[in-house]
Amino acid sequence: MTASHWESELRVHLVEAGIEAVEAVELARDAAAEAEAAGLHPDSMYGPAVAYAATLASTVRRASVTAAPLARELGAVVLRVSGVTKAYRRRQVLREVDLTLRAGEVAAIVGANGSGKSTLLNICAGLTRASSGSVERTSRIGYAPQHDGVSALLTPAEHFRLFGAVYGMSPKKSVALGTRLAAQLGWRPRKDVVASQLSGGTQQKLNVVLAELNRPDLILLDEPYQGFDQDSYLDFWDQVFRWRDGGAGVLVVTHMLHDLDRVDHVLELRPVEES
Amino acid sequence: MDASTRQHWLHGFLDLCLLALLAERRDYGRGLAERLADAGFDDVPGGTLYPALLRLEKQGFVRTEREPSVTGPPRKYYELTDLGHAAMRERRDAWQQFRAAMSTVVEGASRAPNGPGSVR
Repeated sequence: MTASHWESELRVHLVEAGIEAVEAVELARDAAAEAEAAGLHPDSMYGPAVAYAATLASTVRRASVTAAPLARELGAVVLRVSGVTKAYRRRQVLREVDLTLRAGEVAAIVGANGSGKSTLLNICAGLTRASSGSVERTSRIGYAPQHDGVSALLTPAEHFRLFGAVYGMSPKKSVALGTRLAAQLGWRPRKDVVASQLSGGTQQKLNVVLAELNRPDLILLDEPYQGFDQDSYLDFWDQVFRWRDGGAGVLVVTHMLHDLDRVDHVLELRPVEES
Repeated sequence: MDASTRQHWLHGFLDLCLLALLAERRDYGRGLAERLADAGFDDVPGGTLYPALLRLEKQGFVRTEREPSVTGPPRKYYELTDLGHAAMRERRDAWQQFRAAMSTVVEGASRAPNGPGSVR
């Protein structure tokens, strides 16, 4: 591969990773110029273009999150869970859970397997009824469960059109918006691939894009186990805080316990003892 | 000790090293790599150095300028901003505390060569 081929590879991969075209051109040109000045082939200086693009893209994305922390104003309450209890037959899963989340806040639900985290998320989304207690929520919500959110035989673009239709968007606008949101997650959906052929991390990105398509005031999501991709675990949280700074309330079921000092509320669930 | 452990260590301190070198004088990428090598560090791969410089630029710690070079393509020079100088001072203080704590622990251990691990 020639140096200029490497440069154009890098540019293409940067754009695929969600970097604006103008910036991608500049980053690729700088990288090639430094290699030329050093008398080295860019591949031996930086490694493969695809891997280097991922490193640069995550540097750019992370910087855009931390560069200018916005002054946060707490908005209206977007979710209020009061005294929620859930039992399946005689097995109690949740007992007396309370949580208030405002626009511009992030809450994390933590707890061991079987402590009812996903059940609580479903109750907040209105998909599961609480046995007692009350849930009030804003009308525009986005919900990205860990599983079951995507249809195996539809392409990403078909998902965007389908979900866009639910929110009253035109097919063209739905696809354009979905594609743009995907790019923010470093993903460029291919036209000829259906959801079942996507990796687990990419399926979760599709879920997240669908959850965001209607510009929701409340976002409920299950953190992907491995992050979206290996090595980019942090990008998931960058995205969470970007939504928050955009004014949404975000509720995340999380399996990893670091990084919780940046969230506003931590709700720890414990398995309810048999009674 | 293997090189990858040393790489790992430098990774954690590379931003501070670059801030300190740039506080001394503005420089371009390869100039910085050479100064790090002169100081005794292993070669810093381009795939590590340039993302670190990009990070400093995005954080507003350095500004960049391209200058024509007689030998090749234009050189991109890096220079600390006021914010970068402030960040350098803050991190240098934190580093000094860290270094003192490391010395206490590691060099303290080397004074007791048989250590407490030799029970039975």
